[in-house]
Amino acid sequence: MVSTEVKRSKSYFIDEYIARLEKGDALLDDTPQNLVEVVGILKSYGVVLDAYSVNLCYIADTQFLKLFPFFKYFNGDVNTKKFLKFLWHDRINYEYAEYCMKAMFWHGGGGLDAYVDTPEFAAATEELIKAYFKYNPLMIGLHKAFKDFLPEQMRQMAYYSGLGQFWRVMSDIFINLSDSYDRGEIKCIPDVVKFILDGLVADAARPITYTVKVRDQEYDILPKSAGLTFLMDTGVPYVEAVFFRGTPFRGTVSYNAQAYEISYDLGMFNYGALYADPLPIGGAGIPPTLLMQDMRHFLPDYLQDIYRQNVRGEGDIRIQICESFQKSMFCVTTAAVQGLAPHPLNTEDSEEQMANRKYLKGWLNRILESQILKVNNQKTAEVS
Amino acid sequence: MLSALILIPFLAAAIVGLTPLKGTICRNIALVTAVTTLGINIVLGFQFDFQHPGWQFAQDVPWIEWIGLNYHLGIDGLSFPLLLLNSLLTLIAIISTSQGIQRPRLYYAMLLLLSGGAAGAFLAQDLLLFFLFYELEIVPLYFLIAIWGGAKKGYAAMKFLLYTALSGILVLASFLGLVWLTGESTFDYQTLREHTLPLGSQLFLLAPLLIGVFIKIPIFPFHTWLPDAHVEASTPISVLLAGVLLKLGTYALLRFGVGLFLEGWVYLAPWLAVLASISALYGASCAIAQTDMKKVVAYSSIAHMAYILLAASASTRLSMTAAVFQMVSHGLISAFLFLLVGMVYKKTGSRDVNYLRGLLNPERGLPVTGGMMILGVMASSGLPGMVGFISEFLVFRGSIAIFPIPTLLCMVGTGLTAVYFLLVINKVFFGRLTVGLPKIPPVKWKEHAPAFVLLLLIFAFGLKPDWVTHWSEVQAIALLTGG
Repeated sequence: MVSTEVKRSKSYFIDEYIARLEKGDALLDDTPQNLVEVVGILKSYGVVLDAYSVNLCYIADTQFLKLFPFFKYFNGDVNTKKFLKFLWHDRINYEYAEYCMKAMFWHGGGGLDAYVDTPEFAAATEELIKAYFKYNPLMIGLHKAFKDFLPEQMRQMAYYSGLGQFWRVMSDIFINLSDSYDRGEIKCIPDVVKFILDGLVADAARPITYTVKVRDQEYDILPKSAGLTFLMDTGVPYVEAVFFRGTPFRGTVSYNAQAYEISYDLGMFNYGALYADPLPIGGAGIPPTLLMQDMRHFLPDYLQDIYRQNVRGEGDIRIQICESFQKSMFCVTTAAVQGLAPHPLNTEDSEEQMANRKYLKGWLNRILESQILKVNNQKTAEVS
Repeated sequence: MLSALILIPFLAAAIVGLTPLKGTICRNIALVTAVTTLGINIVLGFQFDFQHPGWQFAQDVPWIEWIGLNYHLGIDGLSFPLLLLNSLLTLIAIISTSQGIQRPRLYYAMLLLLSGGAAGAFLAQDLLLFFLFYELEIVPLYFLIAIWGGAKKGYAAMKFLLYTALSGILVLASFLGLVWLTGESTFDYQTLREHTLPLGSQLFLLAPLLIGVFIKIPIFPFHTWLPDAHVEASTPISVLLAGVLLKLGTYALLRFGVGLFLEGWVYLAPWLAVLASISALYGASCAIAQTDMKKVVAYSSIAHMAYILLAASASTRLSMTAAVFQMVSHGLISAFLFLLVGMVYKKTGSRDVNYLRGLLNPERGLPVTGGMMILGVMASSGLPGMVGFISEFLVFRGSIAIFPIPTLLCMVGTGLTAVYFLLVINKVFFGRLTVGLPKIPPVKWKEHAPAFVLLLLIFAFGLKPDWVTHWSEVQAIALLTGG
């Protein structure tokens, strides 16, 4: 039998995916395998996010302005047993959460990024710094000499707190999603997307605030009056930073120069989670490996069984987790795309449809460069 | 005791080949046989007197007296390391053979015949007896390539047969000429060695012998059978081919070329050194151009075997010891590399340097195979701490005072070893895994066990080289002094 391989242009896929989204489907193909993988991996991700969230909020609330926060990953519970476990590395890799925080901090965007550069934020941090170092003339002197250093630390702390609060919500959504699946309420990928979208919408206006305490005196670093909200000021910048541009996924696209795998256009490089090549997972020093390592401890049995049936069994489980994770992130992205659309995607009004299509084309131009076609086993022509 | 090293494999081959046994039983018999012969060799090693320059454990029984053939066996510092290598690599070849191999009875019978034949050649102290074993190992090897080889196995096996048969004829012609010119009625090595023929006669007899063994080693331009044979042979056979069979050529070179025709040898030595340097550079240059991993290792063999010719040409005490060391070193390293290339092929279905990528991937690649491949390349390139460094250092140190230019050219060849192997390593093992490559099954630890054993020896002899040199040092002097 002769097999043929069909390659299609990028514009073909843009039209196809617009139709797919308008129909209420997700970016990810709706298959039973994808459903099990996505729900299972989001369950373990929810557990890990819970731990990350707790730690980020702990650091923001108690380790701010500490120059050497040696035990920041211990959540205030420092003892020999925990310390030895930490050294043994059988623990949650909180470093990954910090990578994500730094990615958001670096790429910015949204109201949080704008607020940390306002005079209000500067005044609040100045007041906090003076109170915190009230009995430390050396630090006050250094602060006067290097005026930007400590405020920058507080800007970063604002991101610690912002991401911690964002993940608190996402963790609950993912755990609840898994519970709904276990109850038989989630039957397909569009159900997953709807569940996530409902969760995002429900908490969209949830305020993002950050208050610290110094000697029983509270300082509002991100006051409620700043009007920062969950979806637009942390959710969207997070998706942009981690899914698309993502520092934490740097190094996950490896190239072999001798095999001419280096693109001449450096602008073509993308490092976000949606673009990540899962193959380098497992390499030392690559941040996503930390996340996959964390998630493997909390996999539901049904997902573990699927992974074991693979050619390499559990030998490449972290790559399999990364592949499933990437699928799940396409579902989260679908929910974000649907949630941020100017009009309901199933509208029958032609003007609204035109506006939606313009909006979707902007997203899809970026998303189609990611791993989505590979994940959905589609091939694109070289000349698009 | 020495006869056991020949008879046990032959007997086992007969049992396996002629009785209707199941494949697993054949494999077990072959394994027991290989372990037994290795055990006998180890026992011999403990009883071996390193300071004694002559034959030890000799057995001399008249066989066909009217043609002067005696069943005369013995070991010395030249043959013993190669006997040990033969028994070790036979065991490794059997272990690394797939348990589901087709026609197991014939396969294991041929493998055991090959091993017994090689042992007989290393033990023979009678020129005709050596020739019989030298020719005998061609037959099983022909079948092992022709039946269990790759796509062009018929072509490769026939080419191997024609070349090595010609090699045998030339060696036999030299031996017959020697007996004729000395007027002796025996092919006994020691008896013939006591004669010193005129230089012209020596050159007349040395020429066919040299061409014969150059085919076997092989040395440029008599090498063309080797890359084809290696590429088409299965992994265990490549291990034996590189590790043992090629050594029959270098063994004959030292034993008969130097041992019987010393004056002629010294006369031709400058030209032989030049030929060695050409062969080393040619092998290295060809290796750079190859896209099949196995061919790279095959051409690397041609380059590294040429160092033995260089060392033998220099004919100093150190260089002769180095020649023996290089035989052991090359046997271990090339067998190691062939095992690893075989593993890559077994798991990926390809050896193509232009196709394979990123096999060091820790989760989906072959990280342990790749890691060992890097160590193998380091050993082959002569990095300190490994056996390749000692052997090449001894070769160059022993030869440079006698033949500085050829030695320097061979040193360039060593530098090129790093070039061609690093090209392979860089392309095949680094970067991103090949797009579209089916998922690679994991390698079990027991699959890597033979390679681990060889790696251990590569390090052990690299750190403690006198474990090899003390076997051959005294014999090296004896060869040069006629002792």
